[in-house]
Amino acid sequence: MHVFDKLLITNPKNQPMERLNLLRKFITVCVGFMLTLATVSAQNVTVTGVVTGSDDGLPIAGATVLQKGTVNGVVTDTNGKYSITVPQNSVLAFSFMGMEPQEFTVQDQRVINVVMAPLTTMMDEVVVTALGISREKKSLGYAVTEVSGSDVALVRDLNVVNTLSGRVSGVVVTQGTFGPGSSSRVIIRGNNSITGNNQPLYVVDGIPMDNTGYGSASSSNAGEYSKSDYGSGISDISSDDIESMSILKGPNAAALYGARAANGVILITTKKGAAGRGLGVTYTGNYTFETPMLLPTYQDEYGQGTGGNVPASVTDLRASGGSWGAKMDGSVKPYWNDLWDPEPETYSPQPDNVRDYFETGQTYTHNLAFDGGNEQSSFRFSYTNTTANSLVPGSDLSRHNFNLRGMTNLTDKFSIDAKVTYFIQNSHNRPIMGTEGVMAYLYNIPRNTIIDDLKDYQDPATYSVRTYTSGSTGNPYWYQLHDVNDDSRSRIQGYVKGNYEFTDWLSVFFRVGTDAVTQGIENIKQYGHWFYPGGRLNVSTQATSETNIDGLIMFNKDISSKINIMANLGANHMYQTYEGMSIFAENFKIPTKPTLASASSNSPSYSPLQEKMINSVYGNIQLSYNNFLYLEASGRNDWSSTLPSDNWSYFYPSVSGSVLLNELLDITGVDFAKIRINWAKVGNDTSPYQLQNSFDLASASDSYLGLTILTRPSTRKNPGLKPEQTSSLEFGGEFRFLNNRIYTDLSFYSIVSKDLIMDVPIPASTGYSYERTNVGEMTNKGFEILFGGVPVQTGKLTWDISFNMSTNKNELVSLIEGVDRYIFTTTNSGTVEVVAEVGGGYGDIYANTYQKDEDGNIVVDNTGRYLAASEKILVGNYQPDWVGGMTNTFTYGNLALRFLIDGRFGGEVYSGTDAGMDANGTSERTLKYREGGVVIDGVRTDGTTNTAQINAGTYWGSYSSIASNYIYDQTNIRLRELALTYNLPRTMLEKTFIKGLSVGVTGRNLFFIYRAIDNFDPEGSFSVSNFAQGVLFYTMPTTRSVGFNVSVKF
Amino acid sequence: MKSYKYLFIIILIAAGLAGCTKDFEDINKDPNAITADEASARYFITVPQYKLYAPDNYPYWRAMLIHADRFAGYYTFGDNYSWWSDELSYAYSASYTDATWDFYEGYFGYLDNFLKLTGTGGDFENDLMYAVGLIMKGLYYQMYTETFGEIPYSEAGDPDIVLPKYDTQISIYKGIIADLNAAMTTIGSNTKTGDGVEDLGANDLYCGGDLQKWKRLANTLKLRIALRAYGATGDDFAAATVGQCFGAPLLSTATDNVLITKDNVISKWNSDSYAGAYLDFGSLESSGGGFTVSQPMVDYLRNNGDPRLTKFARPAFGGTFTFTKPASGTDRDLWPKRVDYLYDVLTAAGADFTKTGNEVTDESVTFSMAPNKNYVGQPVRLNGFIKPLIRRAFFSTPTDFFIAKKGTGSNIYKEIVLTTAEAYFLKAEAIVKGISGATGDANAAFQDGIRYSMRMWGCAEGDITTYLAKPIASISSGTTAEKLEKIATQKWINSYTEGFEGWAIVRKTGYPASLAAGVTDADIYGLGSINGLYPERMQYGSGAYSKNKNNLDAAILRQGPDKMDTKLWFSKP
Repeated sequence: MHVFDKLLITNPKNQPMERLNLLRKFITVCVGFMLTLATVSAQNVTVTGVVTGSDDGLPIAGATVLQKGTVNGVVTDTNGKYSITVPQNSVLAFSFMGMEPQEFTVQDQRVINVVMAPLTTMMDEVVVTALGISREKKSLGYAVTEVSGSDVALVRDLNVVNTLSGRVSGVVVTQGTFGPGSSSRVIIRGNNSITGNNQPLYVVDGIPMDNTGYGSASSSNAGEYSKSDYGSGISDISSDDIESMSILKGPNAAALYGARAANGVILITTKKGAAGRGLGVTYTGNYTFETPMLLPTYQDEYGQGTGGNVPASVTDLRASGGSWGAKMDGSVKPYWNDLWDPEPETYSPQPDNVRDYFETGQTYTHNLAFDGGNEQSSFRFSYTNTTANSLVPGSDLSRHNFNLRGMTNLTDKFSIDAKVTYFIQNSHNRPIMGTEGVMAYLYNIPRNTIIDDLKDYQDPATYSVRTYTSGSTGNPYWYQLHDVNDDSRSRIQGYVKGNYEFTDWLSVFFRVGTDAVTQGIENIKQYGHWFYPGGRLNVSTQATSETNIDGLIMFNKDISSKINIMANLGANHMYQTYEGMSIFAENFKIPTKPTLASASSNSPSYSPLQEKMINSVYGNIQLSYNNFLYLEASGRNDWSSTLPSDNWSYFYPSVSGSVLLNELLDITGVDFAKIRINWAKVGNDTSPYQLQNSFDLASASDSYLGLTILTRPSTRKNPGLKPEQTSSLEFGGEFRFLNNRIYTDLSFYSIVSKDLIMDVPIPASTGYSYERTNVGEMTNKGFEILFGGVPVQTGKLTWDISFNMSTNKNELVSLIEGVDRYIFTTTNSGTVEVVAEVGGGYGDIYANTYQKDEDGNIVVDNTGRYLAASEKILVGNYQPDWVGGMTNTFTYGNLALRFLIDGRFGGEVYSGTDAGMDANGTSERTLKYREGGVVIDGVRTDGTTNTAQINAGTYWGSYSSIASNYIYDQTNIRLRELALTYNLPRTMLEKTFIKGLSVGVTGRNLFFIYRAIDNFDPEGSFSVSNFAQGVLFYTMPTTRSVGFNVSVKF
Repeated sequence: MKSYKYLFIIILIAAGLAGCTKDFEDINKDPNAITADEASARYFITVPQYKLYAPDNYPYWRAMLIHADRFAGYYTFGDNYSWWSDELSYAYSASYTDATWDFYEGYFGYLDNFLKLTGTGGDFENDLMYAVGLIMKGLYYQMYTETFGEIPYSEAGDPDIVLPKYDTQISIYKGIIADLNAAMTTIGSNTKTGDGVEDLGANDLYCGGDLQKWKRLANTLKLRIALRAYGATGDDFAAATVGQCFGAPLLSTATDNVLITKDNVISKWNSDSYAGAYLDFGSLESSGGGFTVSQPMVDYLRNNGDPRLTKFARPAFGGTFTFTKPASGTDRDLWPKRVDYLYDVLTAAGADFTKTGNEVTDESVTFSMAPNKNYVGQPVRLNGFIKPLIRRAFFSTPTDFFIAKKGTGSNIYKEIVLTTAEAYFLKAEAIVKGISGATGDANAAFQDGIRYSMRMWGCAEGDITTYLAKPIASISSGTTAEKLEKIATQKWINSYTEGFEGWAIVRKTGYPASLAAGVTDADIYGLGSINGLYPERMQYGSGAYSKNKNNLDAAILRQGPDKMDTKLWFSKP
């Protein structure tokens, strides 16, 4: 510690003196800054060296060598070698996962060999922050969590964001259950907007990536009939290409992204080649198989029928699809397919008929990466091929990721970095969820149904559907094997970036990047379909693109031995486009030709090119004093084309500060203690065309009797729209104790969102159904804790444990004068509503319940069935109270075992699936009252005691219409991930051409340690939008997956 | 040093780019949007016209078929193939009720748009078009208020009022009549709204731009409303209004029928017909969305030899069905009673059928009905327990005229707005009631009503003549009550498919009595949430509670509990 600092600590009376000194220094700095700007120009030098580990003395491949305060960096090759060109006197930061980072100042030496020790502290951890700037984590005044690429690639998921679940505090991941490549809903620190999507911005290597979800699961469609999902943008990234992911939680960390930062930012840094080494080749292969993690429990005593009987005629039998027949006795009885397959069947249970519909899901991933470079240049090319078969028949996906990145130093000062990625994905028959989805027709098949009999799904003469019941019921095999639900997506992303270094402390880059996506969807309901006997065809293509041109000037200089100033000034021009076309056609003339030409009618629609621009200037400045006091301020001004000229310019500021107490106070056993505080304000604009009221012209096919027809949209627009505003205050601290064997990181935050841009439902008697306006206020307050340590560190054995938990309390403070409730979802039966309510939370669930008399007796109708009360009652909220995860890593030599236990505590969900299974008599619960029926203990509406006996079918039909019976606690704890990896010791490979080899076995969603709900995974969702959350309707089971990995480096 | 110049230039360029907003307004204009200077008011009238009577599948099904047509006693669910028992919506259903409320509430936007565009200061100001809009407003509010009771009326459409108050039925009726009077005065002797694009012309689905027909429509609607209010507690305007109506032309000829030609090609998600609910979910014989024609309708037509019977309903398919007695429980105990009931229904309809087996002593019975021969209406409000016995094949379903599939080019029914026949029935009713100013030959008016109704429904002239010779078609003798029953019943038959009007007729007049009586026997019928009573209104939608609760509460306080059996002002004697 510096002598002066000691004085400062030991003698508080010296503080005024210190302040004077500070002021003097500040002035000196400012003057010095101006002078230096005009005079200094440093020489660039090339530094080389080898990075080795202190534990085994072997070279470390993949270590990052970074010019501090810049984005100039390289990665060591498989021999641990690196080469980097940096200005004289710049600081080189060396980092590698699990190793203590180190720094060296480049002076006269041209070779810097570094020996890295295994990590005992993460004090000097370098993380990627906003604008892609790498910074020491200890200097930050806000919470940033970084996840390494190797973590997400190890226990892989086709949608990489799913691997964040349980790993990062404050993040709630809801996975879609539509099979491989489903969308996911990622919410960081709660929902800030009612109608916005609330999901974070994804930025890949500095280029924002469009994460639009395709399909009704991602849309504001609140219905539960049929939800489709075609994945969202972020699932297009191959986990093998990821170097690291930085989670900027909320506005505080993300303020520099301005309008797009309200929901936080996930920064993804992809891998790049290392300069100064030859060609390296890495192959990574993975095979994963999947089975349903949880299927409902069925009763296997009663088969198809009605009122305890199996009707004598097949037609009558087919009129009732439920399992309300007689006890299955193995005798020959009428069976639903007897109309076309007269061979007699016995009336016997088929306990595995639902399970047998599922196939083993399989995913094969091959990744081949080449990287290399010379003194001045480096490149990396990788290709990932993925093929996956879903759990359900007929559904598969294939994708190809091509990724090329190159960097070169054109001069000592000028370097170029460029990347292009191409992604293409085709998937076939992703399952459709909901009450008219494939699972709705599977979960409720009568208990004596032989599943293979459903494979005969079509009448060859009439082309119409065959299934276990008559009258508008689907067949799960027709769904997956005959109907079509195909989609394809291609994506090109790329950028070129020029970096110019004026000196070691001043550099500038200029970048042009683009992200263009084309999505095509084809959906066919074949002729003879149970709902659409004539068949129908939906095809659509959508193209979106975003181009960003940005530049950044970066300044980073130690003004004195104690004071460092880091400042960045940048500007960005963003240009987004959207174009879409779709055709709907129905009633095929040729039953076997579901084509446009064959359709009797069709209606096309086309959205011409839609454009949006945002121009921005932004900057931040950080002052650090003697590496223990840090102050930072940032500002950003956006100009958005979607807002009126009075409001289209808006400013987002943030300030933060942190202090390292351990540098000030010498407390025994405390290695590191940081306190941080931060305030930020960001916002949100809107989409194009939201300002002017205008009329819509009905298309030819929508014109009544072919007349020219104009209509007024149902939403009253607002030419005075303002941007939404989100401000966030955060306190936090990081502490390490006992030689860094124990650490903790805590954050409290309070987020207030105001002026929400919403289509507020207004009484239609105003002439409109909605008014688009700025209204309301919503708050999120939360607490996040990370706690961990190294309980065991002896010889070869190390045990690391890391535990995180977070809670978020959300409140809708106000909406609009006189309107207290915004309804997200009303179920088709009208018995459940999911709402945002003033004074209540986002996602409150209201459900109907039993009608009771004044004495609290249950009231039944005159036939003895339950009656529902007219008012719905609050039964819960779908947001969890707490989420958390615990990761344990055991390392023994080259063998590592890691597992992640992930929990969600609190939060409710309505299970329409359970209600449906009860109504159909397939669930285990419905064994009750089968023999002899039941008299419900209650009174009639006239007050007399109920004496009416009802049979089980009637009882459960009536019970299942009371939604409050199906509100389940979402609390569950599961073994989310397990990974066992073995790295072959380098000594064993020494004499071969192989430079590294590792093998591993991994598992995801292996089992529940605890769950409160009977039959389903409460996290499995058929919607990833704000809508249709909090209700479950016939979702696919969550998948349990087991994978085998091999990775070879040549 | 040179390089710092570049830095300076970069900063300048960046700042320049950022501040550059010159394209912003251009790119934020929607190329698909039509502005007022590109449009004309005539293009806005069609949608409010057809959406009130032929909206998209959702309200067509949930509001019109599930509620109105079934409450009116036209159609029934609850046969063995139906997705629902016929108790549906007699037991309050939040979702189907909400769909109805949302439809009515949401419809206002279409109409309000037309009124604002053509009204004073509107983009296409035209007082004649505005007069037409006022008449349409009367059609809408009459239906809307008679479905729910008090609704927002006087403050609706005021852009400064987000939460409009609810108005009493009597003030809504008076408001409509004032609007109709104003409209008729404005129209005067004009024959069209203007020339060229100022002429409503073919875009006017009701009257083809003929303003004098609009005037007769307005006067007939005025008479309908006056008679709806006549005799209600506190009524102080109906009698005088009836007198005024008799002094002006009413709809009087076959071409005066105000009907909407169906677009039978357009997507059902835009404008639907009965086929969208019935045939899009299966065949005529077995669709889950299918429905049958009700017992009161079929009985009255069949028993009186009415030629409209074969127009409205087709004979039952017939066939042989064996019913097995349930193994246990109440359903087993009640099974003989329910079988007997079915037997009685078929027998009363004079159906050609046989029953074999004894429902008391045997474990099964077999019914066999001759195919395609018998006209049998399905009893209204059967419960779900009797459903297995209620074979669709035993009952009459609607003819192809009503459920022909979209896109097949078939000639199908038209939507009824207001008919010439009704104008004559209203006249007869006013005369029979002896209202001052209501002059003329009641029986002649009654017979004209039947004649125009049968013509509208496509009956042969010979059949009409035969029918008119029967005592059932005459009110020249009998008590006033008997006369009024005949008029009410004929009005009800004539409104077939226009369920909201049919339901209002039953509530106002109490005819057909079998329908208005409700049901009592829970072994056979579904009593619903109103204990078997006839529904007097629909409950307010959830949206009314969540969006404008204070004003709604005030309305409920005046009107009575928000239940389906709370009588509305117009039907309270």
